[in-house]
Amino acid sequence: MTAVRGHALPLQRVGLMEAGARRAKARSLRRHLLVYLGLVPFIAIAVFPVVWMGITAFKTDADLVNPTVFPFWFHQHPTWEHFTYLFQHTYYGDWIGNTMLIAACVSLITLLVGVPGGYALARVGLPGSENMGIGIFLGYLIPPILLFIPLSRVVALTHIIDTKWALVLVYPTFTIPYCTWLLSGFFKTVPPEIEEAARVDGCGRLGALIKTVLPVSVAGILTAVIFAFTLTMQDFLYSLVFVSVSDQKPVPLGVATDLIRGDVYYWGSLMAGALLVGIPVAILYVFFLDQFISGITSAAVK
Amino acid sequence: MANAQAIITRPAVVRHRAFTAERLRFGYSLLAPAVVYMAVLVGVPFFFSLYLALSDASVGGTTANYVGLSNFVAVLQDGTIQQALRNTIVFTVVAGIFKGVLGTLLAFLLIQEVRGKKLIRSLVVIPWTLPVAISALAWKWMYDPQFSAINYVGTRLHLIQGWPNWLGDSFLAPVAVISVNVWRGFPFAAIVLMAGMSAVPLELLDAGKVDGANFFLRYRYIVIPVIAPILLVGLLFDTVFTLSDISIVYLLTLGGPMGATEILPTKALEIGIQAGALGRGASISLLLFPILLPVVYVLLRNLRRRETL
Repeated sequence: MTAVRGHALPLQRVGLMEAGARRAKARSLRRHLLVYLGLVPFIAIAVFPVVWMGITAFKTDADLVNPTVFPFWFHQHPTWEHFTYLFQHTYYGDWIGNTMLIAACVSLITLLVGVPGGYALARVGLPGSENMGIGIFLGYLIPPILLFIPLSRVVALTHIIDTKWALVLVYPTFTIPYCTWLLSGFFKTVPPEIEEAARVDGCGRLGALIKTVLPVSVAGILTAVIFAFTLTMQDFLYSLVFVSVSDQKPVPLGVATDLIRGDVYYWGSLMAGALLVGIPVAILYVFFLDQFISGITSAAVK
Repeated sequence: MANAQAIITRPAVVRHRAFTAERLRFGYSLLAPAVVYMAVLVGVPFFFSLYLALSDASVGGTTANYVGLSNFVAVLQDGTIQQALRNTIVFTVVAGIFKGVLGTLLAFLLIQEVRGKKLIRSLVVIPWTLPVAISALAWKWMYDPQFSAINYVGTRLHLIQGWPNWLGDSFLAPVAVISVNVWRGFPFAAIVLMAGMSAVPLELLDAGKVDGANFFLRYRYIVIPVIAPILLVGLLFDTVFTLSDISIVYLLTLGGPMGATEILPTKALEIGIQAGALGRGASISLLLFPILLPVVYVLLRNLRRRETL
């Protein structure tokens, strides 16, 4: 740097600029390296259990319990036997069906209740709607652990105890507050002029809602469905308490309670069963991460 | 004159009133399903649990007698439940501190502009996205007394001495349980913080630079005051779910060894459902209520602030 100082020749100035660019590049490289170096332990800790699940799911039992070899690679051919075992000798297929059915019904109930609710909170300008909105959201903050004992009596009174329908009934208690809140945020962003135009054209209030607001809120509604689905998958307590019949269980409960025979854990099939539902849920979450976070943090960020 | 004006404006007033009444009817009928669903399946059970906690109701019994606060007295005098209460608080606080620290570190790394940022973020949030029961199983396998992957890696890196039995040791088991909770929660803390950092107005930072504030001063007086309330909201949210999460302890240790990892949720399940003592179980769950109340209050106040902004 000192060598070129004082010279004003154009050629040397180009050289100076190149040197500057090189320095900037070196600085950027150093910064990249430092940031990556800091991130490596976090990534390793976050991903390692999942990688280990994956390896375990495809290893033969003999390979899995061989203490003399490096455990994190295959020393016999990878196998599908744990997956075929799940589908042929356990209720795994039923559990997947149950989970899908429960998630679909919960999503439907959530939308039928959450769309009108969210719209009313966002748009109609009801007196006291703010408090009602907070009241509904409060339901999300009263955790299942306070409710599972009384709910077990409520569910026991009906004929749906020990069936998946018990879960269809109780899961909306945590999807409705969250999704109503999320949807009301979406509805607030729809310009009111669209709706007013439809009303001038002779639509009723409900007609205007269905014909104009819903079509432009598809993204919001889709997001609400995804969350109804993923929140359903996060539950453990309600399914543990309300469903004890094997073929009625959802996947997380079934894998956690039914794949253990006696005191023996069959890790290969356990990890196969866990991975098969865990990965799709994780991928869905990652795709909708930004919406999920904004739903939770908008309280503070705005 | 005044009379004439009253005559002119009256129809308008009437029409306006009809308009509002119709609008109110419409609005309340849209909101009613949500309110009713929550009232019937959250509100009613909540008060029912208060009633149960004051009674000697059990699964087998046909009658329930009012017993006053005797359930609470018995529960609070029970040594194992005292331990569960202590563990619940210690687990939540220790895990919260670790999640806050790790989450902050990670957030500062993730906001740097580096290549592959999106992919890195997706990988780092995996723990938070996996269904919790499934993560707990993965960790149970990693803590396996014989084939522990953690011990394999740890002993070879000379981080671990010997071959510890994570879930069978009364000191290590709580460490193991807290670790899983932290593993699951730190990405959430980081993402919430990132959302907060992007809300720090850049003009403020520039103004700080112009005024001669160095890096640390800028963080101390500009960034931290903006992100602290956001981290607080994130951690409080997390606290609600950490306090009430049963799956990690249930699947890893079932409260053992010797009650070292027993928490109120596992105790409530054991007594209220498995032993069928509904009243006693409900009173154990309700011990969480005074802890949750301030947390929920702060969270709701934040929501209200957003509404009025």
